[in-house]
Amino acid sequence: MKGVAISFREVTKSFDQKIVLDRVSLEVSPGEVLVLLGRSGCGKTTLLRLVNRLVDADAGGVYVGGREVADWDPVELRRGIGYAIQGVGLLPNLSVGDNVSLVPRLLGWNAERRRERAAEMLRLVGLDPREHGGRRPDQLSGGQRQRVGVARALAADPQALLMDEPFGAVDPIGRRSLQEEFRSLSRELGKTVLFVTHDVSEAFRLADRIAVVADGGIRQVGTPGEIRDSPADALVRGLIEGAA
Amino acid sequence: MSFLEFLAGRWTEILGLTLEHVVLVVISTVAGVLIAVPLGLAITRIPALGRPVLGFAGVIQTVPSLALFGLLIPLPFIGGIGSRTAIIALVLYALLPILRNTVTGVRQVDPAILDAANGMGMTDWQRLTLVEVPLALPSIFSGIRIATVVGVGLVTIAAAVGAGGLGSLIFRGLAMLDSRLLFAGAIPSAILALLADAGLAMLEARLVASRGAPTP
Ligand SMILES: Nc1ncnc2c1ncn2[C@@H]1O[C@H](COP(=O)(O)OP(=O)(O)O)[C@@H](O)[C@H]1O
Ligand SMILES: [Mg+2]
Repeated sequence: MKGVAISFREVTKSFDQKIVLDRVSLEVSPGEVLVLLGRSGCGKTTLLRLVNRLVDADAGGVYVGGREVADWDPVELRRGIGYAIQGVGLLPNLSVGDNVSLVPRLLGWNAERRRERAAEMLRLVGLDPREHGGRRPDQLSGGQRQRVGVARALAADPQALLMDEPFGAVDPIGRRSLQEEFRSLSRELGKTVLFVTHDVSEAFRLADRIAVVADGGIRQVGTPGEIRDSPADALVRGLIEGAA
Repeated sequence: MSFLEFLAGRWTEILGLTLEHVVLVVISTVAGVLIAVPLGLAITRIPALGRPVLGFAGVIQTVPSLALFGLLIPLPFIGGIGSRTAIIALVLYALLPILRNTVTGVRQVDPAILDAANGMGMTDWQRLTLVEVPLALPSIFSGIRIATVVGVGLVTIAAAVGAGGLGSLIFRGLAMLDSRLLFAGAIPSAILALLADAGLAMLEARLVASRGAPTP
């Protein structure tokens, strides 16, 4: 499925009196890969979870495909959006393959089609369906589990993807190739992707545009070239120089 | 006459009472599971149920078993002398461990896994059946195990209200000051408790080992 537009309009969110997001606005175009870059705790995960309604905004609106998420049936909304959760969250009682084909199962695909899809997705993220598909999640390494998390997010061919630091536990070499793979795949399939990372070089490698998040708001949005050549302020400059 | 000769002379009676004992335990534990597991799951959905239901089951637990049997006897319909009264009391006792373990088992599921389940677009029912119950199963199972083992002991006391089982030998032994009769009831009952515990532990281990096996 082709990507949909995602937009945040004046979104405010607090947890326990503490404002995490303060009137944030952001437009993600259909088919675009937008990377949310910022230090840990700045609200990146919260931004993602507003999109699939795991978090509800206190004020302002989040729109998916032009329709406010508050007007969607949450179940329907979530099934159309792939979500690779930070910390993976694989179901320990299911095999790797069954984890991958879980959303297709919820959507009522038959067993044959699910199995094929799971195998295809596992190969895509560099795992061997025959070797890894029947294992339990706890029989995989952290990096392998993350790959499974990504495969699971992709499995039902969603129109949008929310990726929350999906490659953080993968070893550097594997991460590099997953990034390449993910970049070409998301372009080819035309998915709308919101990708969270605190890794500056990852952001530069994957993004069509980068949104730098800090202190409850978005400091700068721009292409990697724009961010590199003309950082909006000292904070953005510090962040990207720190990594260079 | 030695104890063994004593046993040999009465082995059919002992066997019959053992069987009666097992049947009482099985019926009351199964009924306890059928009531307490759904009720426990309901508590995880409707937290307001938790306090009254767990409170009631907890209070029952503090009533000495002999007193509970006695209290039930005069009640119309459910009371009276016999195994029916006993079973009702036994079910009441089985509730708390199963309820409590069902609720804690579900509440202990890793929030990240629940997030993933919600994020995938599971309905509440799907999350319950595909995620929470399977992950709570070891805890639920150990609740059932506790209820069963306690049940084996309680059934001996149920003989006081005419329920039958190995307890009737014990009570007869007490009344006749015959320690052989007493042991003929107590020893098989202790063995039953151990067997039930070991058997259920084995089943539990099987259950845990089979989790994660690919579904066909
Ligand atoms: N459910 C929650 N309850 C309370 N505080 C939360 C919750 N979720 C996030 N926070 C707080 O909001 C802030 C932003 O969190 P998060 O969006 O996870 O940041 P990031 O993903 O950028 O590391 C943090 O200070 C975090 O402690
Ligand atoms: Mg985060």
